[in-house]
Amino acid sequence: MVASAMMVRNCVTGRVELRRLTEEYRSVPVFTPLREGRIDEGAVVALLERWLAEGGLQGKEIFGGGALITGLSAQRDNAAALSSLLRARLGDAILVAIGDANLESWMAFLGSAARLSRRHPEVEIVNLDMGGGTTNLALGIDGEVRRTGCFFVGARHLQVEPGTYRIVAMSRYARALLDHLGIARGPGDTLSSGDVDAVLSFYVELLEAAVTGRAEPFTTPVARLHLHTDLGLEPPAPRVPRVVTLSGGVGALVYDKLRGAPWPPATCFGDLGIDLAQRILASDVLARDLASWIPDHFGRATVFGMMRHSMDISGATVFLSSPSVLPLRDLPILGRLGSDADAERVHALLRLVRETPSGGCLRIEWLGPALAAIRRLGALLGDELRARPLRPEQALVLFVAENVGKTLGQYVSDWGKSPVRLVVIDEVVVKDARFAQIGRMKDHVVPVWYHGLD
Amino acid sequence: MQSVPPTLVPLSDIVVPRPRPPELYRTTVLDEEISFLGLKALLGVADENKAGDRNAGLAAKSVRHREAARTILSSLTLRHLYDHPLTDDDGSVDSVMRVNYTIDHAVFAEIESMTVGGLKNHLLRSPGAESARVGKALTGVMAAALAKICDVHELIFLARRIPRSTKARTTLGLPGTLSSRLQPNHPTDDLRGITLLLYWGLSMGAGDALLGINPAIDTVENISGLLRHLDKVRRKTGVPTQICVLGHVKTQLACLERGAPVEILFQSLAGTEKTLTAEFDVTVELLDQGYRTMREKGALGPDARQFMYFETGQGSEFTYGKHHGIDMTTTEALCYGLARRYDPFMVNNVTGFIGPETHLDNFEMIVSNLQDHFMGKLLGLPMGMAPCFTLHSHITLEGQQMATQMLTAAGANYYMDVALNTDRMLAYFDTSGHDDQTLRELYGKRVTPEYEAWAIERGIFRKEEDGSLARGPNWGNLRQFLSSDAELEGLVATTPALHGFENAGPRPADEVSRRVRLHQAVGREATQSVLCIDALQEVVDLRVIATEAHSKEAHLHSPYLGARVAEAHRAALVSEHRQVQILVSDGLSAEAVHHNAGELLPVLLDGLNARGITMGKPILAPNGRVKLSEDIADLVQCDLVICLIGERPGGDALASRSLSAYLVYCLRDDETRRKAAAFSGNPEARFEYTVLSNIYTGGLPPLEAGGVIAEKVFEVLERRAAGNRLEALLSS
Repeated sequence: MVASAMMVRNCVTGRVELRRLTEEYRSVPVFTPLREGRIDEGAVVALLERWLAEGGLQGKEIFGGGALITGLSAQRDNAAALSSLLRARLGDAILVAIGDANLESWMAFLGSAARLSRRHPEVEIVNLDMGGGTTNLALGIDGEVRRTGCFFVGARHLQVEPGTYRIVAMSRYARALLDHLGIARGPGDTLSSGDVDAVLSFYVELLEAAVTGRAEPFTTPVARLHLHTDLGLEPPAPRVPRVVTLSGGVGALVYDKLRGAPWPPATCFGDLGIDLAQRILASDVLARDLASWIPDHFGRATVFGMMRHSMDISGATVFLSSPSVLPLRDLPILGRLGSDADAERVHALLRLVRETPSGGCLRIEWLGPALAAIRRLGALLGDELRARPLRPEQALVLFVAENVGKTLGQYVSDWGKSPVRLVVIDEVVVKDARFAQIGRMKDHVVPVWYHGLD
Repeated sequence: MQSVPPTLVPLSDIVVPRPRPPELYRTTVLDEEISFLGLKALLGVADENKAGDRNAGLAAKSVRHREAARTILSSLTLRHLYDHPLTDDDGSVDSVMRVNYTIDHAVFAEIESMTVGGLKNHLLRSPGAESARVGKALTGVMAAALAKICDVHELIFLARRIPRSTKARTTLGLPGTLSSRLQPNHPTDDLRGITLLLYWGLSMGAGDALLGINPAIDTVENISGLLRHLDKVRRKTGVPTQICVLGHVKTQLACLERGAPVEILFQSLAGTEKTLTAEFDVTVELLDQGYRTMREKGALGPDARQFMYFETGQGSEFTYGKHHGIDMTTTEALCYGLARRYDPFMVNNVTGFIGPETHLDNFEMIVSNLQDHFMGKLLGLPMGMAPCFTLHSHITLEGQQMATQMLTAAGANYYMDVALNTDRMLAYFDTSGHDDQTLRELYGKRVTPEYEAWAIERGIFRKEEDGSLARGPNWGNLRQFLSSDAELEGLVATTPALHGFENAGPRPADEVSRRVRLHQAVGREATQSVLCIDALQEVVDLRVIATEAHSKEAHLHSPYLGARVAEAHRAALVSEHRQVQILVSDGLSAEAVHHNAGELLPVLLDGLNARGITMGKPILAPNGRVKLSEDIADLVQCDLVICLIGERPGGDALASRSLSAYLVYCLRDDETRRKAAAFSGNPEARFEYTVLSNIYTGGLPPLEAGGVIAEKVFEVLERRAAGNRLEALLSS
C-alpha cells in the first residue's frame, strides 16, 4: 500500500501532524512466495519492484513506512534476510518488524476497526486479522485496544495445488492437527471434503472460542500448540455487546462476498483460504455482525494502521549532534531517567547503552522541566559521557515528552563541543515498546517508529 | 445591471492633461489669510484629522484651516480638478492616476463647470440614479473632494441611493440585501480549521457573497489546494455562492492555468503606482492580463458578468512611504478609479486594518469608512465594508459596531464574517456572522435570493408570514454539516480562538462574548504594557537606552520613532567590535518580554558563553522596533544583533505573550556583501535577517527557544550569513 500525507503544524497544539493521509495505491493481495520451505527472496524482490512501480514510488524518497513479516513467514529461517533485503531496497525510512504478533494485532485493529469502534463506544469490537498463518486478535473499546493475542489459524497451513485439494506442503501445526484428527495424509495426498471440513471445524471452533472468551477449547494439546501468544480474553461483560470484524486476506474474501462478489474458484490461491472464509460466514457466532459492522477499507488496513499508529512525529526542535547521525534503527529503549536521577543512575543507564552495539535510547521524565533541572541533568549526562565516552558507532537517543529537546541536547553535548553522537527527540510520548527506529529529518521533524510492544 | 465591458481602454489611449505647477489656493477667514500650495495640500487639509495624514504632515493645523480648505475646495470646478492631475514625486502622472481618467466624457461635459459644492447640492437634490450617472464622469480625485465636504448624514444619504449589484454565480448587492463574505482564515491554512469556520459561518447564514480565504502561504500548490477544498465544501453543502482564495494575482492565475477552480480573481490595490508595483508587485498591465484571462478561462464561465475582487483601505500608500504627498482619502479614491476599470464583482474596504499610524481611534476609522463607502459607490463600485481594528490602536469593538450600523444605513453591499470577530491568521478584528445577522434583523435586510432559498431549505432561515426573513431552527447549528461529534472534535482541535458556539438570539451567548472580550482585553493591555526594568535587570545585567519614541503612545503611533536610538543615548553606544549584541525591547508587547526573558536569556547566555562568543553588555530599549537593531549594530559595530521583541497581540490571550527573536546580521566586509547581493539581487542590502517567532509557553517555550536561538547564532557566525541565504547554505 502506498499512502501520501501532508505534514502540517497544528496551530493549537503547536505539534506537527500528518494530514490528508490518503491511500494512493494498494496491490492485489498475494501470499508470501515460498520455495523449498523458505521465503523465495527473488520472488519477493520481483513483487516489490512491481508494487513500487505501480505505486509510483520508483525514484522517490520515502518518508516512512513499514513491512511486517508475520505468521508463518516470520518463522522461516531466512526471515531476517528478507528484512535486510527490504531495507536495502526501501531504505532506513521504513520499519521492518519480524514476528511481533502483538504489534500486528494492535495495528490491524487501529488501521481497520478503530474508527468504527470510536463511532460506537458502547460496544466491544474484536478484530480478527486473518492471514495465511496466523489470526491476530485485538479487542478494543472506543478506539482503544484493550487485549491482543495471536494463534496459528490461517489459510496456508495446508498448501494445495490450485484448483485441487492435493497437498503440496504443510506446516508443523497442520501436521499436528491432522494427526490429532486422525487424518493420515501428507504432501502428495488429496484431502477429502470430510478432511477439509474437520480441519476448518477445528479452526472455527478456536475462532469462536476466542471471540466469546471461552477457554475450554484451548485446553487440548493441539489447541495449545496453536496458541502463539496468550489471548487473555474473557466473556463479554453483561450488557456490553461484542462485535466481530475481520481484516487480512481471509477477511477481505469475506467482505468481498458480502458486497456481492462471487466466491473465487475453490483453492485457486493454493490454500484453504476460500474454504475458511465460507465457514466463517456460516458461523452464527462469527458472521452475526459482519454485514452490518464494516471496518475501514473492508479490513485491508494492517499496513495502513501501522503507518498511522506506530509512527510518531517529533517536535520541530530536535537536537542532532550532526545531521548525519540519522537514521538510526532498532535501538533498544533501555530505561527511564527522572529529574531526580543521580550520577549513579546515569552511570548505570549509560553503561547499558555502552553495552549495546549501536547504542540505545533513554526516556527522560520530569514534571514540568525547569532550567535548573535541565542544566543538572545535562551536566550529569555530559560528565558521564566525557568520563566514559561511547564508541564512535554508538549513539545515544533521549526521548522527552516536553518541548525542550534542543536545549537539553545543548547542555548534554556542552553546546555541541562533545563528540557524542546524540539525538534528543522531544514532544513524543514513548509507547511501551522495546525498540525505536528514527528516520531522517524532514522539515525539522523526524519520524519515530516503535516496535516490540509489551 | 451592467454588462462586462468588451475591452479595456489601453493606457496609452487615456488622455490626461499635462501636469501644471502647484497653484496657490487662498482664502481669508476674518483677518487671517490662509493659503495652500497645490491641490494635494488643499485636499489633505480639507479632510477630517486622521493619524496617517497627521504623520505625513498633510492634516490641517486647526479646525479653522480645515474649514478654510473645504471652502476653497467647494468652490473649485470639476474642470479645475480635471485639469490638475496629481503627480508622483517626480512630477509625472502615474498609471493609477491615468486609469482614473477613463470617464464618461459626454457626461463630464455636462457637469464640468459645476463646483464641487454645486455637485454636492445637485446630487442631494436629484434622484439616486443621477448620482450613479454622474459618478461615471468623475475621477477619484473629484470623488475624494466631494467626500471631504460631506458631513456624516450626507455621506450616508448619498451613498444609500446608489445601489450597485453584480452577478457572478449569484447576484450581489440587490436592494434590500446585506450579504457577507465568509472569511475562514487559519494561521496554517489547516483545512480542518477552515472547514469548521466555513460550517459555522454557513450555519449563521453567512457567505452568500463569497467563501474567501486569505491564505497564510501564497504558493500555487497551497492556493490550488485551498480552492479545491472550498469547491468541495460548496458542492457538498450545495450553498449557492462564489469561492476565492486571496493570494497574489500571479499565483491565482498560475492556479487557474493548472485547472484550479478560480471563480473570482482577487488582488489588493493601491492608489499610487509606486505602492502598487513596489509593494504589491502588481501593474495595471498585469491586472489587465488577469481580467482578460478570467474573461476567457474563469471557472464560472460566461454566466458570470463580473469576476474580479479588489481589496483596498485607507493608508497603505502612507505606510509604505509612497503616497507622493497625497492624503489617505484621495489615494483611496484613486484605488476605486483603478478598480472601476475592471467592473469588479466585489470591492472590499478594510480601513482600520493597518493600525494607529493611519487610524488612531473610533472616529477616524468610522469617518474613513463612510467616506470610502460613499466614494466607491459614487464611482460605480459594489462596495463591501470591513470596518476593523488592531489591538494597538484605540479603535474598539464598540466603534466598529457603530461603523457597521451607519454603513448598513448607507447601504453597504456586504460585510465580513470573521468568526467571533477574531481573525486567526491576520491578528486583527473584523465583523462577524453574528454582527451580519444582527444588522439584517435590525434593518430588515436579506441575503442574496439564491442563498435565501438554500438557507430556508436547510432551516437556517425561515420566511415569516409577512414575507420577512427570520432565523430558522437550524440557525447557528454547525452540526447540521457534520456527521458526528467526533468529526466536530477533530475540527475544533485544530482551530484556535474558539470560545464557544452558543448563541442568544442573533448574538453570541453572553458567556461566549465574555471570553472573546477578555482575550481581547488581555491582548490590548499587552500592547500598552510597560517594561519592568528592575525585574529584567535581575535576570541579566542590562544597559538601558531610549529610542526616539519618547512615550508608549508615540511608539505605538509611529513605526519609525522606535527604530532609532535617542540622540541623548547615542554617545553612550560606542564601537565595541563584539561578535554579538543582545537587544531586548517591548515592541508591541512588554508582557511578551516579561513572560519569556527569565528562562530564555540564561539559556542563551549559557550557550554563547560556552562557545566563547564575545558579547557586548545586553541592551534593554523600551519603545523599540525591530529596525532599532540596525541602528545599534552601526553604533556598537557588532557582527550580529539578537533582537528579542514582543509581537503584535491578536485574539488569543496567551499569544499576547508571544516574543520574536530577530537575528540581524551585518554585512560588514566586501566579500560577504558581494555574496549577499548575488543571492538577493539587492546590492544595497546591509543586513540579513533570520526570524524565530512564536516564543511563548503555547508555542516555542522560552527554555527551548534559548537553545534554538543559540544554535542559530552559531550557524550565522560560522556561515557568515542569515535569512534565506543561511538556510540555502545549510541545506547545501
